[in-house]
Amino acid sequence: MKRAYYIFYKDFSSELRMRFALNALIMFVIVAVSTILFSLANEKVNQNVYAGMFWVVVFFSAMSGLSRTFVSEEERGTTLILSLIANPISIFIGKFLFNLVLLFFINTIIAFLYMILFQDFSIQNWDSFLLAFILGNIGIAGSSTIIAAIISKANVKGTLYPVLAFPVLLPLILMLIEITKSAMEGNPISDVEAELMVLISYDIIMITASVLVFDIIWRD
Amino acid sequence: MNPFYDFLEQNSLYIVMIIVLLVWFGIFAFTFNLEKRVKKLEEKLNQ
Amino acid sequence: MRAFWKYLLLILMTLVILGGLIPPIVAYPKNFFEFPLIPGLEDKARIIFFHVPTAWLTVLAYLIAMFYGIRYLKKKNIYDDMKSVSAAALGLVFCILATVTGSVWAKFTWGSFWHWDPRETSIFILLLIYGAYFALRSALDSEEKRARLSAIYSIIAFLTTPFFIFIMPRLMIGLHPGSLEIDPATGQIRASANPVIKFQMAANMRVVFFLSLTAFTILYFWFWNLTHRILKLEYNSQKEI
Repeated sequence: MKRAYYIFYKDFSSELRMRFALNALIMFVIVAVSTILFSLANEKVNQNVYAGMFWVVVFFSAMSGLSRTFVSEEERGTTLILSLIANPISIFIGKFLFNLVLLFFINTIIAFLYMILFQDFSIQNWDSFLLAFILGNIGIAGSSTIIAAIISKANVKGTLYPVLAFPVLLPLILMLIEITKSAMEGNPISDVEAELMVLISYDIIMITASVLVFDIIWRD
Repeated sequence: MNPFYDFLEQNSLYIVMIIVLLVWFGIFAFTFNLEKRVKKLEEKLNQ
Repeated sequence: MRAFWKYLLLILMTLVILGGLIPPIVAYPKNFFEFPLIPGLEDKARIIFFHVPTAWLTVLAYLIAMFYGIRYLKKKNIYDDMKSVSAAALGLVFCILATVTGSVWAKFTWGSFWHWDPRETSIFILLLIYGAYFALRSALDSEEKRARLSAIYSIIAFLTTPFFIFIMPRLMIGLHPGSLEIDPATGQIRASANPVIKFQMAANMRVVFFLSLTAFTILYFWFWNLTHRILKLEYNSQKEI
């Protein structure tokens, strides 16, 4: 468990020091949100559209940023060393934690941007939205990390990542959009109980499966 | 021939049925033939 | 013994085509050779014999592909991987068939080619999963990596499908028949929670329907068997060179 933390810390501190990916990711978010801003400029749009657009931007930012953890290891050639110093479970958890923190950071920025720029994106019921936000981020991080591990061994990594990740993340995103819509309307949390249950079960299932399966992917 | 043709013109569904039946027989014949060729090749390669 | 199945298939499928298209659809079926009428559907109901089996097959194909993928992971036998790919390739073909036939039928029954009805959405997702599976395979050079990683992806993608099967009833009441009422007075549509359509079909329609499922399944296994044998031949002959 300690090693997982060290792996996480190594990625985290190297990212903080050099910020390659972080800057690009933040710029991506700004560009994406601006594009939506321009295209929906003076249109009167149904509030539910903003819910969908929010998670769309979250999804594509995740696709931009989360594959780095494994792809950079392959590119720098440090995969072998990594597999020598830690067992697969620790490696996965370490990378997962890094992706989770990155995701939380980026998604909070996206959420703030949305709330400032789009008046219609107003959350009436914060309970359900925050719960969905936290659970959703865990789920996205989990699935994205394991898919990142899969594509890190492939040739055309960049374009392959969203292709593989989309079907896997879709149930999660659909649920998140539903909960966000409900939160925007101000419905009580009991309305979205079922969706939240789906989120929780998704998180548990995907993370358990990822941990079990990671070993097979990682072995060269 | 004529009453048969008239009947078909009115109940066009049977035209569809005949076509589908023909397509199916064609597919079956092709696959059957394919299986024969594959079997021959397998025997040749396994010697 | 092998030949028995082929001839059985020939007869079965012929029966299905005849049985699906000949019996007239009347409001009050009097004997065994008439199908009941569902107002609004009439003759279009016949699709059940041909479209539903393709959807069923694509799911079966995926399960077979995943099963042999797992087998490969355990035994590292490349022939298992061949069986897995051939199963998936055929599954993709049937998935496209299911989507297209469903879409064409939807145009004539419900008005437009696509509705994002839950079941339509889930067949589309399956299409994406198959596409991702083959995209992944084509991006991997080493035979061992290809087999290993595509098997793993098939497992992970499979884990998300139950969510679709259970999200469906939650999201919306779909257009797809969840229950077909033979009573022409009711128009109730209830989304079913199972992938297998649970509805009340007249007894004679049920016979043709299950014959159809059987015939298509045998057809699938025949094609799958041929495909993986051809892959094996290609592989072996290349090895010799």
